[in-house]
Amino acid sequence: MLGLAVDAVFAMICLALGLAFYRLAQGPRLPSRVVALELITSLVIGTVAVYAIKSGVEEFLDVAIVTGLLGFMATVGFARYIEKGGPRND
Amino acid sequence: MTELLTTALLLLGGGLMLIAAIGVVRMPDLLMRMHATTKAGTLGAALTVAAVAVHFAEAAVTARAAAIILFIVLTAPVAAHAIGRASYFAGVALWQGTTRDDLRGKYDADNHTLYSGLEGEEDPD
Amino acid sequence: MIPFAWNIILAVLWVMLTAELTVLNLLFGFVLGYLVLATVQSQVPALDGYAQWVPRLIGFLLFYLWEIVKANARVAYDVVRPQWGIQPGVVGVPLEASSDGEITVLANLITLTPGTLSLDVSSDRRVLYIHTMYIADEAAFCEEIKALERHVLGVMR
Repeated sequence: MLGLAVDAVFAMICLALGLAFYRLAQGPRLPSRVVALELITSLVIGTVAVYAIKSGVEEFLDVAIVTGLLGFMATVGFARYIEKGGPRND
Repeated sequence: MTELLTTALLLLGGGLMLIAAIGVVRMPDLLMRMHATTKAGTLGAALTVAAVAVHFAEAAVTARAAAIILFIVLTAPVAAHAIGRASYFAGVALWQGTTRDDLRGKYDADNHTLYSGLEGEEDPD
Repeated sequence: MIPFAWNIILAVLWVMLTAELTVLNLLFGFVLGYLVLATVQSQVPALDGYAQWVPRLIGFLLFYLWEIVKANARVAYDVVRPQWGIQPGVVGVPLEASSDGEITVLANLITLTPGTLSLDVSSDRRVLYIHTMYIADEAAFCEEIKALERHVLGVMR
């Protein structure tokens, strides 16, 4: 039952990643793309967690920690960039 | 029992992440897209990580999982606040169905102060 | 916070003395520690009000968990259904919370409650700007935020 659930969740995350990539490509402006990137970070954390269960290797959780940290830093950096400067033709 | 709980947490988390992605595509403006990512997305990822903790049932894994959950739950609102604020400075338009916007015109574009509109009044505290 | 730390220490001591490291035993130790601290509360000034604080905290956690479940279901339903009844708006809600810590906790909790997203606090810390997906009943919305704020202040003050 757990194996089936893992596969089902993988399928869900794949679909979600596709939708998030659509929003990333579509825009319409930079903040929306950043939101899509943030969602992709969450989805990657979810993928890593599910893969840790599938493979039985608990060390994968460290990857999730690093991904979470990086995602937050990137989002805050982007927000700073949008607020404070840069050319306005996103 | 453990397997049942793991399965339930995984499916719930996966479903929430999928709902977040659908929300990001379907919602008409930036702020409403952020509703989907900050709540459904974060909670979905947190639930899958919780499923890992339940599945392995070891102190080390549980501690790391708890750290991840705490971190993503604490940072999601901060990130949302940062992007929401930045979008106002970038002049991102809200959906035309938005009925009320108290924040419009409250930001000072030069010194980035946010006015409350209560400046002249006494503070009751 | 100091009485809470004492309670944790007592719980850990209980686990060490019984030599049984399980969540259930830790919880039992916590309950025992709480009873001890509640008993000696009138003798020790540093513990003042702790016996009343823990039930408030538990009440708040239950209240908040219920809010999250309720509101998540509502938003999930609204995202998926073909024709949505969303009426978004940005509302400035006057704050009673005054210190930075209280405002941070309140804003984070508001963001994590589905349907509401705290955008920013005014520079003089008197108004919190919230984006909500259901503005139809404005008075009820303000009342919801105020209820959450009362709970937060009850725990933090």
